[in-house]
Amino acid sequence: MVKMLVPYPDRCTGCRFCEMACSLFHEGKVNHADARLQVYKKDVRTDFPSVCTHCVACGEDCCVHACPVEAIKIEDDLVRIDEDECTACGACVDACPFGVMRMEETAFKCDLCGGDPTCVKFCPMGAIKYEEPDAAQYEKVRQFLEGEGA
Amino acid sequence: MKAYHGRILRIDLTSGKSSVRTIDERYVRKYLGGQGFAVELVYHGMPEGADALAPENVLAMAGGLFAGFPVPTGGKTAFAAKSPLTGTLVESIMGGVIGAELRHAGYDALEITGRAESPSYIFIDDDSAEIEDASSLWGKSTREVPELLKKDLGWDVKIACIGVAGEKLVRFACIDCEERQAGRGGLGAVMASKNLKAIAIRGTKDLEPADPKKLLELALRYQDIMENAPSFKEDTVYGTGEFLGWINKEKGVFPTRNWQSGVFDSREKIDPYYWAPKYVSKNKACFACTKPCGKLFEIDSGKFAGVAIDGLEYETLYSLGSACGNASIESAARGNEICDVFGMDTISAGVAIGFAMELVQRGILTEEEAGMRLTFDNAEDAVPQMLELIGKREGLGDILADGVKRAAERIGKGAERYAMHTKGMEPPAYDVRGMKGHGLAYMTSTRGACHLRAGFYAPELVGKFWRWEGIDRQSPEGKGAMVAVMENFMCVYDSVGLCKFSRGFFLIDKLSEVIEAITGLSFTEDELLEIGERIHNMKGHFNHREGVTRNDWLLPPRVLEDPIPDGPSEGSLITSEQMNKMLDDYMAARKWSADGEPSPDKLKELDLT
Repeated sequence: MVKMLVPYPDRCTGCRFCEMACSLFHEGKVNHADARLQVYKKDVRTDFPSVCTHCVACGEDCCVHACPVEAIKIEDDLVRIDEDECTACGACVDACPFGVMRMEETAFKCDLCGGDPTCVKFCPMGAIKYEEPDAAQYEKVRQFLEGEGA
Repeated sequence: MKAYHGRILRIDLTSGKSSVRTIDERYVRKYLGGQGFAVELVYHGMPEGADALAPENVLAMAGGLFAGFPVPTGGKTAFAAKSPLTGTLVESIMGGVIGAELRHAGYDALEITGRAESPSYIFIDDDSAEIEDASSLWGKSTREVPELLKKDLGWDVKIACIGVAGEKLVRFACIDCEERQAGRGGLGAVMASKNLKAIAIRGTKDLEPADPKKLLELALRYQDIMENAPSFKEDTVYGTGEFLGWINKEKGVFPTRNWQSGVFDSREKIDPYYWAPKYVSKNKACFACTKPCGKLFEIDSGKFAGVAIDGLEYETLYSLGSACGNASIESAARGNEICDVFGMDTISAGVAIGFAMELVQRGILTEEEAGMRLTFDNAEDAVPQMLELIGKREGLGDILADGVKRAAERIGKGAERYAMHTKGMEPPAYDVRGMKGHGLAYMTSTRGACHLRAGFYAPELVGKFWRWEGIDRQSPEGKGAMVAVMENFMCVYDSVGLCKFSRGFFLIDKLSEVIEAITGLSFTEDELLEIGERIHNMKGHFNHREGVTRNDWLLPPRVLEDPIPDGPSEGSLITSEQMNKMLDDYMAARKWSADGEPSPDKLKELDLT
């Protein structure tokens, strides 16, 4: 198995530090909309680090199949976007169950910071881990998404 | 100058008009941000002598200099206004995201004046600022308001709001943002007096630091330092109440039954070492905090089933626990939830109830007048019941909702003897009879009895901090100058927006590097401390101008006359002579008059004339 970002919502405190660090690392400035991951907060009980898990929610790569111009491909176990091909139609953003596919002039998303994810470094609680996925944890995440419709 | 927008948004609720005031680098170098900005706006903006609940009062809000940038524990927001509880300038710092969101909307601070004709909320959507109708929100709780507003405005909008306690002008009502509160001094009542139910903000603008790479490097460095410190595990497992056992059993300064004792004999039942394993289901953090002390506390069975709070904090374990003789953590948790939902300060509310319980104990109040069996041994039921009455201003709750100082005046019959406060503010969870300098800090705190304006409990209980070693908690010697400089230190903290639990990691000299990475401006340690001194002087000057005199500063009679009766600090008190000597030393260190008026030379030196 390859390593992926795995969310552990029970450990997420909702501080949103990961969003800021992600944005700063990739864009040199802080804007939560530029972050490649989002912390979903609904009430006092719910803090869900929504990361690119490529892709467990539906068991298939939703964004890849949603793209009408085949601009999204899986290469080296990573979701890659061909910016020249992308028409910014937004179909991948709608399809992504984690809400991590972002859109500005073209679609953009998590690239695992080249193999050393910034969000993981800034989460001492271990709510986001970069590891080989654990089936039981994935099942929990899947149930969470079904329950919340995030 | 990076990171700042150079803009302060001013909204006048009377005319319904908003405008923008521009600020420059000189302003930033003078006031820094956060508390500095908020205090400046009230100090210069409120006409002399205005009532705290009059339209002329200024309600100011600003994110700290770090808020919105990834600095571990650096996401705080400051609110300030004249306090309806103390009549002083009150600032209250919260861990909510609202100040950072304001910066993303393009403003360094928000200044609200006037009074809307009918219940309203402010909606700041980047460049647009509108005053909207909130009549359907009036009467709703601090949990309902964000839910209703987000349904209308979008899930990404951030909300600060008040609950019913604010609407009822409870003098210690708070402002809530995502279960974090600007708790002390009645800022929620100030909001309500302006007919303002909520402030909703959506900010989508970039915050650009001067040196992004350096900032990330510093963030990681401090994150690692914090994560590897011994306190990390304690804070993340047990929260701020972790040292309750130590304060109680080793030091004997945990105020109990309205300060009739310094040791709570049922301590084990409210100690997080007991309740965290039983009731805590996960950690909760303030915005931008990677060292969470918040706890999701849930009860799923028994009399208090259904309680779900972000708590309980050390202070609340005292105010709704030991101060009321309450050994039921479930009852205290329910009380915490009532305070959160109604929107009121847990410290003042709990101390007010403990005070009323002592009045019943001494026959000054009858159970009939109290409307319930308001006794220390019935605290489990009485505390949540009385909190609801305070939140709704019903029965005795209506009297206690004005704070212990006014309540004592109204009840009479010698009740003043048992009213614990300085400047009208109910004290936090340190029995200062056994901590002389911290007792001074309760007096000198510009918002009334407070543990965080100087944070002097830490140097005195540990015996060392920063520039000092071998500190004797029972000695008044030298405390005047030490408390003054710690207050300046803390003003800097509240202006950059750092959590005070980080003060052992980031001493003032460490802040300069981070400030420079964010703003491109360099400050020496002395320059930062001078900004802190300026902020404190604004507050002191404001208070003197508003008629606060030395008499208001003094410690309550019990601290001066009743020694702690038992435990490790048995026999401790602060004599009147010690109190006055410490105050005189403090005033001399500040170059203030005996009545707390800053000298013209000091104001000139700080460029405040």
